[in-house]
Amino acid sequence: MGGNGFIPKILYALCAWCGTGGSETAAALWLKYPENVRPFRVVCTGALDPAYVLRALIEGADGMVVSGCHPGDCHYNLGNFRARRRLAVMKEVLNTLGLDGDRLWLRWVAHGEGKRLVDTAFEFDAHIRGKGPNPLVKRWDT
Amino acid sequence: MIRREEPRIGVYICHCGINISYKVDVEEVVDFASKLEHVVVARDYKFMCSNIGQELIINDIKEYGLNRVVVASCSPRMHEKTFRNACKKAGLNPYLFQMASIRELVSWVTEDEREATEKAKDYVEAAVRRVAKHQPLEPRIVDINPNVLVIGGGIAGMQAALEIAEGGKTVYLVEREPSIGGHMAKFDKTFPTLDCAACILTPKMVSVGQHENIKLFTYSEVEEVSGYIGNFDVKIKKKPRYVLEDKCTGCSECIKGCPVTLPNEFEYGMMDRTAIYRSFPQAVPNVFVIDKEGFSPCRNACPAGLNAHGYVKLVSVGKYEEAFKLIMERVIFPASLGRACPAFCEEECTRCLAGGHVQIRALKRFVADWYYENVGVKLPVELPDVQKDKRVAVVGAGPAGLACAYYLAIQGYPVTVYEALEKPGGMLRYAIPEYRLPNQLVDKEIELIKQAGVEIVCNTPVGEGGKSIDELFGEGYKAVFLAIGAHRDRTMGIPGEDLRGIYTSIGFLRRVNRGEKVELGDKVFVVGGGNSAVDAARVALRLGSKEVTILYRRSRVEMPAFPEEVEAAEEEGVKLQILTNPVAFHGEDGKLSEVECVRMELGEPDESGRRRPIPIEGSNFKVPADSVILAIGQAPESSVFKQEGLEINRDGTLWVDPETLATNREGVFAGGDATKGPSTIVEAIGLGRRAAEYIRRYVEGEDLRAKPYEEHWLETVDKEEVLRRRRYTVSPPTSLVKRPSHERIKDFKEVEATLSEEAALAEAKRCLDCAGCCECRQCELLCEAQAIDHHMKEEIVEVKVGSIIVATGFKTFDPTPLIQYGYKRYPEVYTSIEFERINNAAGPTEGQIRMKDGRVPERVAIIHCVGSRDENTNRYCSRVCCMYSMKFAHLVREKTGAEVFEFYIDIRAPGKMYEEFYNRLQEEGTHFIRGKVAEVTDVAMSPEEEGRLIVVAEDTLAGKVRRIPVDMVILSVGLQAADGAEEVAHLVGISQDQDGWFIELHPKLAPVSTASDGVFIAGCCQGPKDIPDTVSQASGAAAEALSLIMRGQVEVEAATSYIDPEVCVGCQQCKRICMYSAIDYDPARGVCVVNEAICKGCGLCAATCPNKAVTTKHFNNVEIFSELEGILL
Repeated sequence: MGGNGFIPKILYALCAWCGTGGSETAAALWLKYPENVRPFRVVCTGALDPAYVLRALIEGADGMVVSGCHPGDCHYNLGNFRARRRLAVMKEVLNTLGLDGDRLWLRWVAHGEGKRLVDTAFEFDAHIRGKGPNPLVKRWDT
Repeated sequence: MIRREEPRIGVYICHCGINISYKVDVEEVVDFASKLEHVVVARDYKFMCSNIGQELIINDIKEYGLNRVVVASCSPRMHEKTFRNACKKAGLNPYLFQMASIRELVSWVTEDEREATEKAKDYVEAAVRRVAKHQPLEPRIVDINPNVLVIGGGIAGMQAALEIAEGGKTVYLVEREPSIGGHMAKFDKTFPTLDCAACILTPKMVSVGQHENIKLFTYSEVEEVSGYIGNFDVKIKKKPRYVLEDKCTGCSECIKGCPVTLPNEFEYGMMDRTAIYRSFPQAVPNVFVIDKEGFSPCRNACPAGLNAHGYVKLVSVGKYEEAFKLIMERVIFPASLGRACPAFCEEECTRCLAGGHVQIRALKRFVADWYYENVGVKLPVELPDVQKDKRVAVVGAGPAGLACAYYLAIQGYPVTVYEALEKPGGMLRYAIPEYRLPNQLVDKEIELIKQAGVEIVCNTPVGEGGKSIDELFGEGYKAVFLAIGAHRDRTMGIPGEDLRGIYTSIGFLRRVNRGEKVELGDKVFVVGGGNSAVDAARVALRLGSKEVTILYRRSRVEMPAFPEEVEAAEEEGVKLQILTNPVAFHGEDGKLSEVECVRMELGEPDESGRRRPIPIEGSNFKVPADSVILAIGQAPESSVFKQEGLEINRDGTLWVDPETLATNREGVFAGGDATKGPSTIVEAIGLGRRAAEYIRRYVEGEDLRAKPYEEHWLETVDKEEVLRRRRYTVSPPTSLVKRPSHERIKDFKEVEATLSEEAALAEAKRCLDCAGCCECRQCELLCEAQAIDHHMKEEIVEVKVGSIIVATGFKTFDPTPLIQYGYKRYPEVYTSIEFERINNAAGPTEGQIRMKDGRVPERVAIIHCVGSRDENTNRYCSRVCCMYSMKFAHLVREKTGAEVFEFYIDIRAPGKMYEEFYNRLQEEGTHFIRGKVAEVTDVAMSPEEEGRLIVVAEDTLAGKVRRIPVDMVILSVGLQAADGAEEVAHLVGISQDQDGWFIELHPKLAPVSTASDGVFIAGCCQGPKDIPDTVSQASGAAAEALSLIMRGQVEVEAATSYIDPEVCVGCQQCKRICMYSAIDYDPARGVCVVNEAICKGCGLCAATCPNKAVTTKHFNNVEIFSELEGILL
């Protein structure tokens, strides 16, 4: 495949506080972002089970981006720090599995930062378009 | 018995008016949904959240036997509760419901209609798949604590507090300023009615202050909030006021004594205030507060902890006797220190960054000299009536010994000082030459110590050739303080040291100070680089030697002597030969004739941090000499005390515990040069005073270490912060008058003169009041209610509340960065809030509109939208500026008759009687010029512009650029989120929007609720608004809080974590990461257990559990995976 006609499937995991707040601010300002970037809600970025990332990539997602409260702002005090460490390890795991750790991004978005959320969506979409489809689709056994 | 039913799902797609349907083909989505697995019925409706919409769901649940419901509409934050309640009404567990956000996540953010419809379908499918896996959960019910916390004591906080208190509930009102009242207390009139702000505000303030249900915490901040709706635990930090709230009567007598001047924040620096102050006369509570920002740098720099700031300020107001008393609290020998102290304080003085340090040492000298001259040699304290029976012996009558004796004596302890030499004073008398410190002055200062009851016994050595320590204890002394100084001169250990003509510095200086005749000859060398070397050299000159040279083995920067002493010596003609060291002295007939020296170079730094001098081989040279004075250091005569069982350090000093100054022997303390080696007078006095305190504790049988020596100590203030406080003028220190060098070397009279009273006053006024309060304690003397406590400590109060109202208000925009408006460059440019104060009868001009030179302005410009509606500052409209600007225009015309020009972009006058007020202003003749101001300048282009400020603006109605000359410019500055809003948001768990305002739950329907249950917001912290709106919101927030209290109980999220004991292996990783300590380990079963009452359902434990024994209810992996599949497929 390649750039032409490739529309990546992107999941956007948002924590229930700042991340979701950011998506609502973006919505309230009617800021548009690519429809193929699909937000879904987790309670806290720290509660993002690595299984979600793996499952999403196996199910055919081309990338996942995660947004939650800025460091120090976590609704649950330190959940976002937990997420940061976990996702750093996760990237390595993905690399090991040949799934490309760069298909997973973490970026802080505050409740008021609707613009930042939208920018992130565009940026990540372009990033994944540049990368091409999830390498798993090339495998005969999936 | 649980019967596993097949899911029967109803799907409802909302149009949200056209908010969803304008992008999403709702019918297509309904059609799609109806074909999904388990879906029994799918419908759409214009407004699902309406009653009819909800009825639709309720009926379907009953009619079709639905056991799951999906609503695709707005965000769950908006209406999840609404639909859950609808399910509940129909008898369905509310957790068997799922919401798909097809407005916030689809229609509003997707450009293409086709794509939007497809995306909406995916989200609906995700919700259907997810809801099929949902489990019924039982909501938890918690009790609501009826107490309410209100943060912020402005008009919003006060209003909310009063409403709740009137309802009979307890309110904790926390305000960080010393008084409640907020911004409204600063206003003069309010628009559009022009009624006086104080007249409507102060009665409310009084009610708040007096209401039995309001617990007022002023000068306090919320430190920590934990818990959840109905059950918050709050920690309130009460900053130390240093004035007891229950004793202060608000009589304001105290401010008469305060010598400190600080900018008055309430008047925006347009007036000064004292360090003890209240914000304004109507303050509630009517209690003063002392502005204590820490300790001044000078004070913390002093080894004896002398409060330099305090006595400098007392000098500045002519209270010399009080200054003397304050000095004597920390040090003795003030006149001596005023002459010979190295003044560590001056090095740290903040004035060093603004022209040069305050002449602190010279001011102390002035105070001491003034006291001895005008008051006499008179003890500045009253002695206790009854003498204590515990006697203390002090060995050595130098500064350390006498300080210890004095501070014990004034507490009533009988003290005897044993001195080996014929007179007391130690190094002050015997080492410091007369031209620096006359001995007659030392006599006066010792007289004071004798007046305190100290008995000084001279010619009585203890130790070598005298009494032993055992004998002293045998005579009944309970403790002994050894302050034997360091009088033994070190020698070099080189050939010829025993020749005649070779002296040691201490021996030499002592002989001279005693008045003995010493013949040095013409050519004198002094060896060493310390103070005693410089003293010896300068004395040698005064004894008539023609050529005096200091030989020092390192370079000049390494010299330990005070630089100003070295300079003075050079002025007088002393030569300095650095990097040179004697290696031998040669003589004839036992008399010195030549000194053999070697050149040195500097090598690696040694343990003192200075570079080690290394002799250069073969550089030896000889010079003829008549005398040599060795000044290479001194050590205590300590060897004898070794036999008395005392531990001696390698350098010959006595070992002591640095904190308590106790030696290894019970009851024996030591300090001064005896323990530190040769140092300074002020350090010796500091140690003496410290010893007095620990000896007191020892003889009274107290635990020496129960409390620190300095019980009252604060951090040094930040100097940069001090300089930022206000505009200061750079000024050089008053120069000290010295006798010319050619004259002063002729005799031993003092080199430096004491400051004149005039000079002292002027110099003291240069002090920048770094610490705020200088702790001169004059206020204490004036306060009859005895309400002042300078040692007050911060206090943490813990309260429990059920709900929280945040009303933290705003701050005004600072226009300094907008240099085109000339704020802070031109004195006649004011901000609107400053102008409020100028207008106010209690303000800096007592309500008269006057220019800084006292003239009445004839033309005034008011510039709108400064810091509002501007891409470069704040994009939003601050809402109140147009109205208050017109209020100003009216008041200016009324008070001065001046012509007023309003430069506006649009006039925003929406409100009851607001437009009418605008019309009235137009009729009054105020000039309204539509256009943004380009600049305010003082560069005149015509005679009528001369001496005025010219406002340059494009008049967009006339279509031309206009230059309007005026006398005064008022900048209508916008409103911004208050300082600290971010911290408050974190504390209570609410969010800020991009401009910093707190985000309400819904902009229309829940304007005072927040995403955090039980936390409400009111007033300008939510966004700019005027007083009526603020008060309405405050009442609204109060009503929300009261409604919560009346309910008594509330349902909270049932989504907590659960640990399956069958799967858990007891590794306890979940327990370690849980922020709320909601997980306990049950050792009996070897598993972890969740305490649901504490669990917040964040899900960290579930993501962490390596065994997947932990699940977060309602967000478990099966549910999330189902949702992901739906979104992706």
